[in-house]
Amino acid sequence: MEQLLNRIKDKIEIESLKKRDDLYFINVKEEHIIFLLSYLKEHEGFTHLAFLQAVDFQEYNLFQLTYMLYNYNIKVNLGIKVMIDREKAEMVSIHKLWNHAWQYQRELHELFGINFPNSPNVNESFVLEGWEDIPPMRRDFDTLKYSSETFYQRPGRSTNDPKEYMREKLYKNFVEPPKIRKEND
Amino acid sequence: MKLKDILFPLTVWKRATQKPWTIKDPLNDRPGAENYRGFHKNDFEKCIGCGSCEEICQNNAIDLVPVEGQETTDGNSGLRPKIDYGRCCWCALCVDVCPTGSLTMSNEYTWITDKVEDFRFIPGADETKWQDEKKGYKRSENIQLINYDRVEMFEIEPENRDKSFIEIVKGYNKEQAMKEADRCLECGICTATCPAHMDIPAYISAIREDDIENAFRILYETNPLPEICGRICTHRCETSCALQNNGEPLAIRWLKRYIADQIPPERYKEVLGTEHLIDPDINKKIAIVGAGPSGLSAAYYLAILGYEVKIYEALPDSGGMARYGIPEYRLPYDQIEKDINYIKSLGVKIQFNTRIGKDISLDQLHKNYDAVFSGTGLHLGRSTRIPGSDNKRVYFATDLLREVTLGNEIDVAEKIVVIGGGNVAMDITRTLARLQNKKYGKVNVLATSLETEDIMPADREEIVEAREEKAIIDPGWGPKEIEIKNGKIEGLHVVKCLSVFDEEGRFSPKYDEKQKNFFKADMIVESIGQGMDLSYLSEEIKAGLKFGPRGRIQVNENFQSDLDWLFVGGDIIQGPDVITAIANGHLAAKAIDKFLTK
Repeated sequence: MEQLLNRIKDKIEIESLKKRDDLYFINVKEEHIIFLLSYLKEHEGFTHLAFLQAVDFQEYNLFQLTYMLYNYNIKVNLGIKVMIDREKAEMVSIHKLWNHAWQYQRELHELFGINFPNSPNVNESFVLEGWEDIPPMRRDFDTLKYSSETFYQRPGRSTNDPKEYMREKLYKNFVEPPKIRKEND
Repeated sequence: MKLKDILFPLTVWKRATQKPWTIKDPLNDRPGAENYRGFHKNDFEKCIGCGSCEEICQNNAIDLVPVEGQETTDGNSGLRPKIDYGRCCWCALCVDVCPTGSLTMSNEYTWITDKVEDFRFIPGADETKWQDEKKGYKRSENIQLINYDRVEMFEIEPENRDKSFIEIVKGYNKEQAMKEADRCLECGICTATCPAHMDIPAYISAIREDDIENAFRILYETNPLPEICGRICTHRCETSCALQNNGEPLAIRWLKRYIADQIPPERYKEVLGTEHLIDPDINKKIAIVGAGPSGLSAAYYLAILGYEVKIYEALPDSGGMARYGIPEYRLPYDQIEKDINYIKSLGVKIQFNTRIGKDISLDQLHKNYDAVFSGTGLHLGRSTRIPGSDNKRVYFATDLLREVTLGNEIDVAEKIVVIGGGNVAMDITRTLARLQNKKYGKVNVLATSLETEDIMPADREEIVEAREEKAIIDPGWGPKEIEIKNGKIEGLHVVKCLSVFDEEGRFSPKYDEKQKNFFKADMIVESIGQGMDLSYLSEEIKAGLKFGPRGRIQVNENFQSDLDWLFVGGDIIQGPDVITAIANGHLAAKAIDKFLTK
């Protein structure tokens, strides 16, 4: 595996990380992604795309995509991580490399709002039929607000604030802060 | 229709004799995985009802409700989470955030009931079949949503502080304070523990928002001595902080200090909105006996209510025990003055070197003023009364600390033993260590207490810092006799103390007389508690008052005595500590206002 990583490093700039004997990660720049994926698939035996996932790094204005590949011969998982711009949120499609990737890309389009131009059916809804809000896996999506507004509350619910409840129970008679008496009051 | 279409469905009957692929009873034979996020469990022994689970829930599925048998006490709201499984999505954020680790999940995932209301339940209170299930999701020790490590406070190293009275703690800067404030869960459980019930989550939230002026106003709602309390408060709030269940409690005291340190004295009135005080209609005068924390607190709240306030103080300066009992390295005098100068700027007058009962009688104050508040504090030392304790080289800690503040020379001996294990004992030990270091270039002071190391009443950091300054702390000994030869002290005989309190919690030390020790000394300081001096009460006034246990004047919940014009508070009623005294003064001021305006 180390030799394989060195072979890649001869060609393009990457950072690699070993997590386990059978799990490695590579960080690569966006412009090298197609080269790297096709090289790994055609020349190094990573024939299987297990999944494609995204993480929202809102504070850096980036999305991280992870392409998880598998090599059946050496039984190694290899995750390819690439950071893309969050504003533009667009990535080259890989459905020509792995046909089933269109489904993953359709999912990411719906949940994160990442576009994959020319990917088949990328605009079709995946699980969220009739969704009109911003994509729900984006960190700026307010889940609590959405669930509060969308799903009605069962009647009879009530809650207590610990601070106020403890005041009521333990020191109900303690004074309220006095109001400052001023000349013009 | 073709014949095939009719016959083909019948072919499935050939499977009737084969072993089925489906599982007969899938619900009982398929336990969830080891780490499965199934139904919730809550360990009531650990849960403190802080409500962090409710706060983080993204589905609004959790309510905090009272549960029978769960008491509301210090550090425990008595409330418990009730989860609505109609809304829960089992994301487990509530488990991840739980600061006590009480809330977990079992690996159970089937639950059949015909009553829909059952699916709103209180884990830990309602009987469930998974309550003792060991498997299931728990908070990871590696990934924490909360930061349990306190932002470190910079302190001057022992070698740079042990010869002088320079302030040890440097205080947080803005970056540190905001980082520390960011750890607060804002559960508010600490507020009940604080004797003055300061709105701690509110002022910490204001630090987060970098709105220091608002934070400062929140402090003054319940505490007019924030520079003092920000340094030497007993910070009981921190003992009930939710974070201390899994890490270091929030540095509430240092954050308070940070707020007060940011506002320069000349901006106090503007920030607090007290530039135009005094309601001319009130025209009532209050006398306060003692310029300590309780008296100053009462004076402040009376002043902002428009009263004319005059404080009579026996000593030459204000602050009471905060100045004359606490060494300068913990509480510098200029910081005391910053708090008090503001109170004075509101029109509060302080007459120094005037002892009530000697220079002016209490009756006279009664005649000249509409009401009197007395907070005269505990300034008398208490003696062990062991043989030899009447020697002239046996001192009370309070007397020596007062002399140091007054600037008087103390005849510091080369070998000193301090009897006592409280904060005052540490104060005098560390003060004497500094004085010895200055005079002799070395430290030889030993403090001993009845209490063993684990139950010493002094703050832990005081004990640690005293040792850093080369003082010896040797706890767990009971003083028996001071050996005296030709009128000079040779040392202190002690025996092992086995226990300090009896089963009912009363003071009743038990000793093992066979285990003896002898501490050499040529000067001994007693610091086993303080007493009050009520000699300023005339016989006539005494006759009108009731006295409770340990000679304390009995007052009602508003600190009003049986003589309706006389209010009493501070260490002579409760405590002793600064924050309780401040709370007393605050309550008394409100009660005086009510008494005079009724």
